[in-house]
Amino acid sequence: MTIDNSSVQVLGIDAGGTMTDTFFVRADGRFVVGKAQSNPGDESLAIYNSSVDALAHWGREVDEVYPELVTCVYSGTAMLNRVLMRKGLDVGLICNRGFEQVHSMGRALQSYLGYALEDRIHLNTHRYDEPLVPVSRTRGVTERTDVQGKVVIPLREAEVRSAVKELVDAGSKAIVICFLQSHKNGSSEQRARDIAKEELKKLGVDIPVFASVDYYPQRKESHRMNTTILEAYGAEPSRQTLKKVSDRFKKHGAKFDLRVMATHGGTISWKAKELARTIVSGPIGGVIGSRLLGEALGDENIACSDIGGTSFDVALITKGSFAIKSDPDMARLVLSLPLVAMDSVGAGAGSFVRLDPYSKSIKLGPDSAGYRVGTCWPESGLETVSVSDCHVVLGYLNPNNFLGGAIKLDVQRARDHIKAQIADPLGLSVEDAAAGVIELLDLTLSEYLRANISAKGYNPAEFTCFSYGGAGPVHTYGYTEGVGFKDVVVPAWAAGFSAFGCACADFEYRYDKSVDLGVAQLASDADKAAACRTLQDAWSELAGKVIEEFVINGFKAEDVMLIPGYKMQYMGQLNDLEIISPVPTAQSAADWDKIVEAFENTYGRVYASSARSPELGFSATGAIMRGTVATQKPVLPEDPDCGPTPPPEARIGTRPFYRHKKWVDAVIWKMEALKAGNHIVGPAIIESDATTFVVPDGFETTIDKHRLFHLKEVR
Amino acid sequence: MSTYTNEQVAHLVEGTLDWETTFRMLSMPKDNSRFKQYVEALQKKVSFKDRIVLPLGPHLYIVQTDRKQWVTKCDCGHEFCDYRENWKMHAHIYVRDTEEAMTEVYPKLMAPDTQWQVYREYYCPSCGALHDVEAPTPWYPVIHDFEPDIEAFYKEWVNLPVPERAA
Repeated sequence: MTIDNSSVQVLGIDAGGTMTDTFFVRADGRFVVGKAQSNPGDESLAIYNSSVDALAHWGREVDEVYPELVTCVYSGTAMLNRVLMRKGLDVGLICNRGFEQVHSMGRALQSYLGYALEDRIHLNTHRYDEPLVPVSRTRGVTERTDVQGKVVIPLREAEVRSAVKELVDAGSKAIVICFLQSHKNGSSEQRARDIAKEELKKLGVDIPVFASVDYYPQRKESHRMNTTILEAYGAEPSRQTLKKVSDRFKKHGAKFDLRVMATHGGTISWKAKELARTIVSGPIGGVIGSRLLGEALGDENIACSDIGGTSFDVALITKGSFAIKSDPDMARLVLSLPLVAMDSVGAGAGSFVRLDPYSKSIKLGPDSAGYRVGTCWPESGLETVSVSDCHVVLGYLNPNNFLGGAIKLDVQRARDHIKAQIADPLGLSVEDAAAGVIELLDLTLSEYLRANISAKGYNPAEFTCFSYGGAGPVHTYGYTEGVGFKDVVVPAWAAGFSAFGCACADFEYRYDKSVDLGVAQLASDADKAAACRTLQDAWSELAGKVIEEFVINGFKAEDVMLIPGYKMQYMGQLNDLEIISPVPTAQSAADWDKIVEAFENTYGRVYASSARSPELGFSATGAIMRGTVATQKPVLPEDPDCGPTPPPEARIGTRPFYRHKKWVDAVIWKMEALKAGNHIVGPAIIESDATTFVVPDGFETTIDKHRLFHLKEVR
Repeated sequence: MSTYTNEQVAHLVEGTLDWETTFRMLSMPKDNSRFKQYVEALQKKVSFKDRIVLPLGPHLYIVQTDRKQWVTKCDCGHEFCDYRENWKMHAHIYVRDTEEAMTEVYPKLMAPDTQWQVYREYYCPSCGALHDVEAPTPWYPVIHDFEPDIEAFYKEWVNLPVPERAA
């Protein structure tokens, strides 16, 4: 092996609530996964510890590896937790007079966001969270801009001055300004921003001012206000956290610039202006990683499935691209941020299992044991059976090698709890009760997966299913059986897949702006050209912002590749589609025709050609600008084919394994010792420290040169 | 189904239980021991020694007296009547049947027209606690809200021995 091949180039970080994963990739595609307990007080320390853990596999030191790295991407839940626990900055809010209570009241749906369906329809559970900004730090000023963007009541500037002074006196550490319709005409808001800055200067107070038009100039007032407040409330403190992480890297000799995974599926610098969009990042990594693997395998249609302790997340990649949701909700707030579209169901490998006392039916979740695994871990303090308990009892999991033997599981304790809570009340044996729980979970997940694909009008036979997440490979056979996927893929690094995916993401900024364009099908060339001008104006404005972000990181404008896009719908319809522009700039009627054609093609693909309705005319609802620069991405391992027979040293032994009402002896394989080309027929269990891959009877798997397992049902 | 400590149930009674636990209680099937724990928590709050058989409202209970009779009782100790009778017939009653009386509790024009609907408030004659409010049409008889089948409730619903009752 040459020196060049063994240099470590890429680091992905997934700082979760309980564990911090690091994923290092060498130039030859070899990788290691490290794990350490998360440290909310100092994330940089957890990342360091996790790195030490990972690099120990290669016998290398942090101080010699950090300087070699060219790319490092962070994703984490710190900002989300800060918002959920209401531990952000004391923000002051200036809005239109008469609308001071709007933020506190919130949108009605915020009272049940994030709930399971049973709880949504149960009115007593609905509850409004504390607002991010209390009414006591909110001031209204007289101003009104109408829906067409016409200023009907000019801004009373003196009111802004006194509002700023009052908010400073009330202890505000940042000021957010959000006026009605400012996405249509931002002049009043910009004026208020400038006055606020002047006033703060006069007062000798150095605190930041956030005008919504500078950040998220998009329609939907609650979304825009929430997002701008979030930027001040949560993002600024997160910047301090990221700075600490970056500083620790620098201390150990790192030369790279730390980047953060953002909701739109690209990565941005920790110095970026808009940091609110890093609020959710971990799960997105998996989707990005799947797309990269899909490109390597030649699969354009991928069903990404991530099963963790509490939830099952599904995202679809069609024709090589994932869908973006432009007004998602996070942390129980409606926001206007572009988010990689994902669907979740609250059932996972750690879900609690209970019997409904009236119907005697088995219920999974919605709460879960999380990091406490289940009653099989005596130290957990848990008394309620979890799905993991069932797995331990049935031989799916190795009680002596859970998380690489970090904790020892007590099979008898799990048996006793299952017997008392599930098996006896149902009059079943412990094995049949536990198997029933697993079947129910598998059925719930496979139905969810199937519904997610067919409800969007696709056929599972055209999709490859990628299965990852800490618990993914245990369940893969169960939730893919009978769905009819083209192929089912389990990466050997399933447990670190989100961190891997983050490292695969482009260095990409994305800015969005609402536009309101309506052009009839047979409009005159002059009208089409006018529409193009409006779109182009928006693109130019957004391109300026994108380039500004890259300049902060020391790039030149000409290094940036700009990708304009737009959102379009048939006039009068409710849902728009996001399209990458077929033209680099929009000027002429011919450009407009190309823009419309690209929309119609996409519409025909997503819905049906016959559903296209050009006679309604076309509305452009949003302008999008993405910009990227070249970055180093992980390369996939390329191993020589060693034939179908696994090497004898990979075989560890056998373990009794229960499925379909009988015990069989499953062969246990060591994942790391398996070679490319090896073929394994179930019943078998393939183990590594962080992942257990179950191949029951009726299934077989082959490992390919990229260390991806392909799972098949045997006919 | 979950189980809860007596302390948690006492917080539930006081309205001081943390939201996470409250939410779990709301969204899960009711735990078997809840009624017993709930009544015990109430029993600790009241000044009288009589055993609470069934809570009827925030300050109103059906209790078992030392003579083993079941009566409706206020938490101040005032006894209304036998549990099968309508306790409201023994309460002090205030009827809001004029616009003036309505505007004491509602802003002007936001209360019902008293020709069509009145409020009848039922107070404890001893301590003045407001036990119930009805909103019927003016001529409607006093409503007997609740005639509980306590034997069936204890035997078939909460699986507890029925408290003794003198004939």
